[in-house]
Order: sequence, then C-alpha cells, then structure tokens
Amino acid sequence: MNRREFLQCAAILVSGSSAAQLGFSLNEEQKVYLATAPDFNTTPVNYFTPLQRKIIAAMVEVIIPRTDTPGAIDAGVPVFVELMASQWLNEEEAAIFNAGLADIEVRIPLAFGSPFHALVPEQQLEIMQALEDEASGSPWYDFGNIQRDFVSDAPFICQLKELTIWGFFTSREGGSQVLRYDPMPMYFDGNIPLKQNDSSWLTVL
Amino acid sequence: MLEHTQYDFDAIVVGSGISGGWAAKELTEKGLNVLVLERGKPLQAGSGYLGEHAPPWKVPYQGKRPRELYEEEYPVQSKVWHSFNETSRQFWNNDKENPYATDEGKPFLWARADVVGGRSLIWGRQTYRFSEEDFRANAVDGHGIPWPITYDEIAPWYSYVEKFVGISGKSEGLSQLPDSEFQKPMPWFALEETIHGRLRKKAPDITLTSARVSILTEDLPGRKACHYCGPCYRGCSTGSYFSSQASTLPAATATGNMTLRANSVVERLEYDADSGKISRVHVIDTQTKERMAFSSRIVFLCASTVGSTQILMQSASDSFPDGLANSSGVLGKYMMDHTLGISGLGLFLDNMDSYYHGNRPAGLYIPRFRNVGAQDEDADFLRGYGYQTATLRQDWQTGFNTKGFGAGLKDKLRKPGPWIFALAGFSECLPRESNRMYLSKRQVDRFGMPLAAFDFEWSDNEINARKDATKQAQRILRAAGAVLALPGQEEMSVPGEGIHEMGTARMGDDPGKSILNKWNQAHDVPNLFVTDGSFMTSASCVNPSLTYMAFTARACDYAVRQLNEGLI
Ligand SMILES: Cc1cc2nc3c(=O)[nH]c(=O)nc-3n(C[C@H](O)[C@H](O)[C@H](O)COP(=O)(O)OP(=O)(O)OC[C@H]3O[C@@H](n4cnc5c(N)ncnc54)[C@H](O)[C@@H]3O)c2cc1C
Ligand code: SF4
Repeated sequence: MNRREFLQCAAILVSGSSAAQLGFSLNEEQKVYLATAPDFNTTPVNYFTPLQRKIIAAMVEVIIPRTDTPGAIDAGVPVFVELMASQWLNEEEAAIFNAGLADIEVRIPLAFGSPFHALVPEQQLEIMQALEDEASGSPWYDFGNIQRDFVSDAPFICQLKELTIWGFFTSREGGSQVLRYDPMPMYFDGNIPLKQNDSSWLTVL
Repeated sequence: MLEHTQYDFDAIVVGSGISGGWAAKELTEKGLNVLVLERGKPLQAGSGYLGEHAPPWKVPYQGKRPRELYEEEYPVQSKVWHSFNETSRQFWNNDKENPYATDEGKPFLWARADVVGGRSLIWGRQTYRFSEEDFRANAVDGHGIPWPITYDEIAPWYSYVEKFVGISGKSEGLSQLPDSEFQKPMPWFALEETIHGRLRKKAPDITLTSARVSILTEDLPGRKACHYCGPCYRGCSTGSYFSSQASTLPAATATGNMTLRANSVVERLEYDADSGKISRVHVIDTQTKERMAFSSRIVFLCASTVGSTQILMQSASDSFPDGLANSSGVLGKYMMDHTLGISGLGLFLDNMDSYYHGNRPAGLYIPRFRNVGAQDEDADFLRGYGYQTATLRQDWQTGFNTKGFGAGLKDKLRKPGPWIFALAGFSECLPRESNRMYLSKRQVDRFGMPLAAFDFEWSDNEINARKDATKQAQRILRAAGAVLALPGQEEMSVPGEGIHEMGTARMGDDPGKSILNKWNQAHDVPNLFVTDGSFMTSASCVNPSLTYMAFTARACDYAVRQLNEGLI
C-alpha cells in the first residue's frame, strides 16, 4: 500500500463511521477524531485583556521570532499561551504567571516610557534577558528537566519560555515548516544523510 | 460429538484481550459456539482509534497532559506516561469509576484497559519465547514449584501462534532466548550498527539484536506491513501490530460462531456440586446494571491475571469456601511482575551526520547474559535480566530549557542534537507466597463486588538483580563508545509497573500446590480453564504475553479434544 492509498483508506474509515457505531459510553468530547479536529490554537480565548495580549505576543516573538521561517506569532503561540494560562496552569502556577505578566504590564512603562510591545527589539531583549538572569537558579534550567512534568514553582519567564517553545514546535507552522513532519513515512531507513541545515523531525509522542 | 441443546453456548470466554482473543479464535475455528464476555466498552477496530495519526496541533493542549483530569480520574493509568495521553485515554480504565485497594505503604500499579481488545491495543508488542532454562528454573533452584511442562512441549505452540501474530526479529541461535518464527527485522540506525561493531570486540558476551516485536514488516492476510507512523498505543487501523481487534477477533467473527458481549462484567462462576463443574456464568451489564447468567460446557477465564483471580475468589461457595478451584489454598499467592527501569543512558557523538526516515516503533534488545547455564560467580542474585534499548536523537524536547532568546535559540532548538542510546532492564522476579492479591473485606465497587487488593514487595533478589543491571549497563555503554554514560534511576519500579503481573493461579503437577494442571485446566473443576498470566509458575525475564498466547492455543486444542471424547 502506498501513502496515497493509505490516506484514502483512512479517510473512508473516518467518514464511514457514525457516532452510533462507536461505543455509546464514550463522551461526546471523545467522539471526535483528533485527526479531523480543529487546531487547538484556534480555540476561542477570553482570558487576557487586549493590552496583555499585545504584551504576550511581543514576548513570545522575542523568544521565537519570525526569520526566513514562521515565528511564534505566525504559529498561534499567543493564543496557545492564553489557553494554557486560563485552562491548564494550576492555581499556584497561574498566580506566578499572572503576577509576572502584571509586573511587565506595570513596571515596563514606568522604567522605559512605553509598554513592552511598543519598545524596540533591543530593549525587549534586554528585559527578557534580565528576567532570565534573575531566574537562572531555578531548577527549571536543570539538565534533567525533561518536559514530562511542569516545574510548578518555575518563575514567570520559565513558564513563558516553556509554553512558547512547546506551543511553537507542536503547532502546524512550527511542527511542519520549521521542523519536518511526516505522519505516514511508509518505510524506515536508519541511515540517511543529515545536511548542515536540516531540521529535526517532529516526533509524535 | 457435541450436543448443543442443553447449553446456551459450547464455550464462554471471559475477556477479549490477548488471551481471550486467542481463545475466541481457536474455539470458534474448531466449531464451537462461543460467547465472549468483556467488561470494557465496545470499540470498532479502525474507526474507534480516535487519536490515530493526529498531529500534535490537533490534540488538546497540543499534547501537554491535562493534569487535573488525570489526577482526579486516572491517577494510576496516567502513570503509564509513555502510552497514556489524550490520544489513547479512551482505551484505558477510569480509576475513579473502577478503583482497587493496596496495603498501607505497599503501592501497586494495576494498569488496565476498559475496551473490547483489552490491553492488546496498548501493549508494547515486545514478544519473546521463554527458554528451556526458564521452564527448568524453579526445579533447579527450588523457588516456587516446578513447571509441569517443558520447553519442547510448548515450542510447537509458540510456532503456531507466531505465524499468525507476525513477529519481526532476527534469529540469533541463543539457548537463553529461543528464536521465533520471524518476519524480516526492521532496519537499524547507523549508530546502532556502530555500537554493535564495538560490542562485538569489547564485550563479546553481549548480544545486541533487534527487539522481537509483534509488528509486521511483511503483509499478512487482512493486515498491512507497518508504515512507521510511530505512536502505536493510539491504535493501528492497518492492523500492522498484533491486537485482538486486528487479528484474533476478526478471525473468530469470520467463523460465524462468536457472540461478543461488551459492557459485561463477570461477577462469578456458579459451581454445581453434583456434576463437579461450572454450570453458569453470572454477568452484570455495566451500563444498565442488569444481572444475567449464561451456561456453557466449558469456561475459559482470560480476564487478565488480576481479573480472573478476582472472579475465582468471588466465586467462593460451600464446596470451595476459599475461592473456586482453590482446594490447594494458593489462589492469589505467588504473584510476580518484572522490575523495570532505565539502567543506563549513553550520549554518543558518532554518526552525527546520519539521520533517519520513519518512526521505528521498536528498539533493540540485549538478551539475558547473566547466570546463563550456570550461576555466575560474581552474581549475588539468581536468574537474570534483559535490556530493551531505545535510540533517539536529541531535539527541542530535551533542550527546551536552554538559556537565550531569538533566532539563535530557534535555530539551535530546530536542529538535532547528539544521539542517546538507553538501556532499560527487565529483571526476573521470584515467585514468593507473600506477594499476593486478595479481595478487600471493606471496599466494594459500583457493582457491589469487593475490590481487588494487593500486597506485594520486592525481595533482595530483585533488588540485587536491578543493581547488577545498572552496573553492567555502565560496562556496556562504555564498550559501546558513549562519551557520557549516566547510570539509571536508583529506585525500584513500583510493583505492577512492569505490567507483567502473573502467577496467582499457577500450574503444577501437584494439585495440593497449584490451581491448574499442565493443560491450564483447573485441578478441581474439569470444565474450567484459565489461560491468562495467572497460570504462570515462574516469570523469566522476558515479556510474557507470547507465552500466554501459546498456552491459550494449546489449552483450547486440549479442551476441544476432551469435549469430543466426552471427557468433560
Ligand atoms: C503499556 C503496556 C505495555 C505492555 N507491553 C508489553 C510488551 O511489550 N510485551 C508483553 O508481552 N506484554 C506487554 N504488556 C502486557 C500485556 O498487555 C498483557 O500481558 C496482556 O494484555 C495480557 O493479556 P490478557 O488477555 O491476560 O489480559 P488483557 O489483555 O488485559 O485482557 C483482559 C480482558 O478481560 C477483561 N475483563 C477483566 N475482568 C473482567 C470481568 N470480570 N468480566 C469480563 N471481562 C473482564 C478486561 O476488560 C480486558 O479486556 C503491556 C501492557 C501495557 C498496558
Ligand atoms: S508504527 Fe506501525 S504498527 Fe505502530 S501504529 Fe504505526 S503502522 Fe501501526
């Protein structure tokens, strides 16, 4: 079976089955083929204020900017961060996040004369670097921290970096235009050349 | 010949997982009219695999785990972090709905599915034969009781099931890990070839071979060779890995002899003291709570080790006050699991300009090399362990907490880092009377049935074997040329975490010390067969499910011959 046949066969399977054929005890929410669901980062949001949205967008773009490939804003990371801040962080983590964001909201205009998103890139980077310097002792930076668990007391800047990097590389743009994505490789070859500029595969977990 | 009139069915099979699927296939193909009872939800092969091939941007939270939900409703199952997430949750048991009990300070992890197909949908597909030495181990060192069967007796049944399952792997001719009937092995990473070459010279006692997995590299009827998409635990609509859903249940359906009833939890088996047999199987519908009973000539318990043992315990009667078929008193005891965990992790800078195409859903394997044939002088433990290996190239997921910002960070995260080659040791566990499951006296589930409870601890033998596995992993990684070799985690796995629980209704020649005879037939009740992991008399160090399959097929053959000869 080649890739095309396979996709066709998958499409038939997906369209040919009605909810009635599925277990009636599955939740409504589970009766969605994830492969045909809308992208997660298109879920409507209503957590941040318009000003906070601008600040977050500017901050995530400092972490992963648009270059010759899409950046964090192109990849819907601001929406992802807002969804995660409102739905996923626990109370304690959300408190750290909200305080961190409020600090940027209030302190930056006083110190720099303009809100974060209106500053020039050099100033934005300087602010982010200062936040990271301050946080550098956090166990979030430890070698052994691999993303299985969220470091619950990690400072705001670490939370934001983690959500940005995760939200970016698992997005459609980041995953398939910055990394390489192939859901149906059809064969395995363990030895092909890796060229200087080649990206990793988006490995599906 | 069979007379169909007095009974609802010729045979009832409890459970539709790996063992139950095999029992259903074998018994229906031999012409029996079979009822399969499964407590889990109905699930359609293919269209029921809701998370299959979903890219991360479609998955809730783009794959970050919904922690609150998991803590609330799946505190146990979500610990199986490599296979449990939003793309596969539908297959798993809801712990809040179906809890179990553990003794104070003695945790036990009971991982289980809750759908038609059981754990065959989510298993790791590692498939190995037990060896002649494994079947002799108890007799030789005196732990547990001797197996009533030899390797030579089961070998043809291994071959029989393997040809149907479809196992990819490499023949090595080792006594401690007999070869299976293989399809061609999956290709290797260049780094694995490099390591293989070095081990040959610097650690010739170590065999590095392809993991033997129930994943097709060549088409079988109705099933396609693997397309290397990667996350098998989401289900596989091409049937490329072995599951009841893709393999045995379709075969049973094709005979026209199978009735499958999902949402049907077996409450107890009714023993008829006059005939000395099981007369009826009592069932509760999980959705309507309606109670019903079915009769059959023979009953195959394939509800998984814990599930079947639980049913036997719940079926206590005047004839068997300590649990059905338990005149020996060993029911629930001598439980085993494998200890597992990362034994060592090596960083490699070889083959940096080599990359790969496709997600190979299996690693390599290092078969047991300790105490093979005879006890090693420097070993402070009996029996042995094997390593499953994983090869991966570091990427943004291991480097996300790097310092820095901007284009430089983005570029660094986007590119592959050094290689990692990890060894995960699986050690044999000795059968001990004190490791057991029992029925809770205080807690009942939503059907009013007592909860399964566990009382299990590792002995020094497992602890010492695990330490040795960590030590030897360092030697292997250095011989393999790791630039950095990290020792694995120190703590023991939680009992049950190996997900190879077994031994609670062991087989043996002595009816005073075992529940089952060599045919998986209860010594006390001739029309009762138990063919899931409960029958296991010892554990070996290899993954056990292939052995359950071989014994199930053999037991079905025996049971039908006995039926036809009018002996049951
Ligand atoms: C993540 C994971 C990885 C694994 N990896 C491997 C591996 O690589 N190799 C290997 O050999 N093994 C592996 N295993 C273990 C393997 O899945 C089991 O050994 C195997 O499934 C056991 O088969 P079974 O038929 O006994 O039980 P199951 O497959 O669990 O099936 C039992 C069925 O019985 C049903 N049932 C239980 N109680 C009742 C009742 N009272 N009434 C009606 N129905 C009931 C259950 O719902 C279930 O569907 C793994 C398991 C998991 C979860
Ligand atoms: S990797 Fe192969 S076996 Fe696993 S789900 Fe994909 S096609 Fe099926």
